[in-house]
Amino acid sequence: MTSSSIEAPVPAAALGERRANVAPAALQVNDSDAFPLAIKNVTKRWRKGQAAVLDNLDLALAPGTLTWVGGRNGAGKTTMLRIAAGLIEPEQGCAEVWGVSARENRLRYQALVSFLPAGDRGLYARLTVRRQLEFCARISMMPHSQVHRSVEEAIDAFDLRELADRRVDRMSMGQRQRLRIAMTFLPRPETVLLDEPLTSLDGEGTALLLQAVGQLLSRDGVVLWCSPSSEDVDLTFDTHWLIDRGRLTPL
Amino acid sequence: MSDLLTAGHAFLAVMRRDLTVYLSYRTRLVSQALTSVFSVTLFYYVSRLVHVSGFRSPNSYFGFVVVGISMVSVMYSCFSIPELLRQELVAGTFDRLLLSPFGAVRSVIAMTIFPVLYSFILAATTLALGCVLFGLHLHWSTVPLSVPAMALALLAFLPFGLLFAALTVVVKQGSVGTSWVIALLSIVGGLYFPVSLLPHWVGTAAKLQPFTAATSVLRHLLVGSSLGESPGSALAKLALFTVVLVPGSIFVLSRAISFGQRRGTIIEY
Repeated sequence: MTSSSIEAPVPAAALGERRANVAPAALQVNDSDAFPLAIKNVTKRWRKGQAAVLDNLDLALAPGTLTWVGGRNGAGKTTMLRIAAGLIEPEQGCAEVWGVSARENRLRYQALVSFLPAGDRGLYARLTVRRQLEFCARISMMPHSQVHRSVEEAIDAFDLRELADRRVDRMSMGQRQRLRIAMTFLPRPETVLLDEPLTSLDGEGTALLLQAVGQLLSRDGVVLWCSPSSEDVDLTFDTHWLIDRGRLTPL
Repeated sequence: MSDLLTAGHAFLAVMRRDLTVYLSYRTRLVSQALTSVFSVTLFYYVSRLVHVSGFRSPNSYFGFVVVGISMVSVMYSCFSIPELLRQELVAGTFDRLLLSPFGAVRSVIAMTIFPVLYSFILAATTLALGCVLFGLHLHWSTVPLSVPAMALALLAFLPFGLLFAALTVVVKQGSVGTSWVIALLSIVGGLYFPVSLLPHWVGTAAKLQPFTAATSVLRHLLVGSSLGESPGSALAKLALFTVVLVPGSIFVLSRAISFGQRRGTIIEY
């Protein structure tokens, strides 16, 4: 994590030009020290004897890249993200950030990785937007001196100023999604995992998300974006993968 | 040092969150106050019926039972942690705690701060109501000593909440077990009647948990009930429970969370 402030929004066009330099080649997962996220040989079954949800899955993301993983419902996208986030553990293999797994150093891992789960959960209904963001900053172990500034910057970056003192249970689904995204980017992670991030977002909300993604990529962060289709977003991905029966296939 | 300070701020943030949520339900405070008023009133009139050898007078039983009622609220607070954790699991906010650098174990421990402080205030309010409404006579010379004794008692009780929180992580229904445990502890803890009335073997079981010792010490300090042993020895017993149970319960909670992550059930609710 860096401690600099959130930068000015990057125009989507500039984002496309910058990332055109990144080769969408398959990366060697074995050298996982070199990647802000490497998923190595991951297998996951929910029950013994059942078919694997993820089957010897490998994926490495190079710094400054935006990766899309798609697939039908139940293909394993969310399970892959949950393992990459450190929420659940695989039966075999591991996810690593710069060569470190969550099991080896949970504090460092969680400081570098941020996860936006699908759906609208993960918010305290009775807290205001500002309180929610402050809470998020605190549990992210952000130094006291940076909390206020980071919260206010997140409020501005995701156009939440008018909603800052409104309780979450009095907000629309799209506004809640904007808050969830703000909470994902607030701790200034290097690796961001997005599970169907466009849910309930309007055009303005989508543009704000894309700006945040662009800023992260410009500081060599990585984004792993999972959704059933990549066509619903005006964004150029560096690599496209399809997950089917627990295996990834490059597109 | 700065890490310690940042962690301290995170602990306070959890407490502040719980306070904010609590205050957002405005009727809760009134409802809780009315419950205390009616409980104290109920037991005041029950105490009027008590003319037995164990108590010098109805007022003596009233003092005995008001401390017991105060301890019940403390007990409920400690056992509210599994339910709070379950709400976090259902709302999906536990995932965020688990994936934060602050971590799930520290978050659950932090979740105990507000209920514990609240129960402390509630216990004091119950005693105050006993004094103001029904002339409960407190031993003011030893009342200040009851504050550190209560703090030690709370530390000794907390592991029970953490153990049930661990159970909630694993089976998602920890709160089901808490109601009968509270009822059982109310009996063996001697909250409403002296433990000496219980059969001998139950009386022995009463010594295996900290609630009996804590209630006895607090009764001694607040209303001057006889203790049957020195206050120092009763406090040492509480300290021993704390030293053994606090690290043990944190370890169990940590293993329960790891188990849920390995099995993948941590995402279920």
